[in-house]
Amino acid sequence: MTEGSRMIDDNELWVLSFYRTSEISGALFFGRLARTMKPGQIQRDMTKHFSDESMHAWYWTACMEKLGAHALKLEESYQDQYLAAAGLPVNIMEVLAITQVFEKRVIGQYSLHSSLPGLNPEIKATLQRIMQDEKWHIEWIRDALEIMEQEYGKDRIETTLKRFTEADLQVYKRTTDEHTERLQELIQRSRRRQ
Amino acid sequence: MIDPGAVRAKIAAFLKVPRERLEDAATLTDLVHESFLLIQLVIELQEEFNARLVQEDLKDVKTVQDLVRQIVTHEIQS
Repeated sequence: MTEGSRMIDDNELWVLSFYRTSEISGALFFGRLARTMKPGQIQRDMTKHFSDESMHAWYWTACMEKLGAHALKLEESYQDQYLAAAGLPVNIMEVLAITQVFEKRVIGQYSLHSSLPGLNPEIKATLQRIMQDEKWHIEWIRDALEIMEQEYGKDRIETTLKRFTEADLQVYKRTTDEHTERLQELIQRSRRRQ
Repeated sequence: MIDPGAVRAKIAAFLKVPRERLEDAATLTDLVHESFLLIQLVIELQEEFNARLVQEDLKDVKTVQDLVRQIVTHEIQS
């Protein structure tokens, strides 16, 4: 692979690398948790979730390779910033609640990226492929949280979701400036192409 | 009833340190540097000992002994 054959610019490469890093963090997190779960539906779905996230990291790696680039090594993922803002989840219900909020953010972000005019077809296909899985992630977690209402109480679950949603907004506004700036640059460039 | 010794043993096994070297006064953040690992430890203890903690329970937890106490006192009846 030579520099001359690269089909994405630095901003796109950074954004795709950020996605890849976040998918890897999600996979590692869910892989560890799946190992600790007792046998049952949550153990099953969490294992599938872990598997999906690791595949997504691979899809991004392969996508960048097809576009003539290698993924950048980034230190921090979106999840790291999340935990700093929301505090550590202390039980499975809280882990699922923060994941639910996070997954919705990911779908929103991927959907926005996917809608950019003139987007490279390889990137668009990867975004759409991943979004299919993300929809299932939201569904299984929603179902699991419903089942957990008996144990944790509906009010506590709703309060937890609210707390993490507020943290999500903080993170998105405050700590993802670099990500937002780079995505904005992509949006503006797409508009200039039209 | 949850055995505090069993909880300490589980923490030691998780951290891969000999049980006798795990001091009750040791600070958790010194033992576990990665926040994801700390979450995993807390959840693994709850799963293993059938205990349930909520955010408030961990507010003042700093040491191994604090965590053991919280697990022991939050057993759920199945």
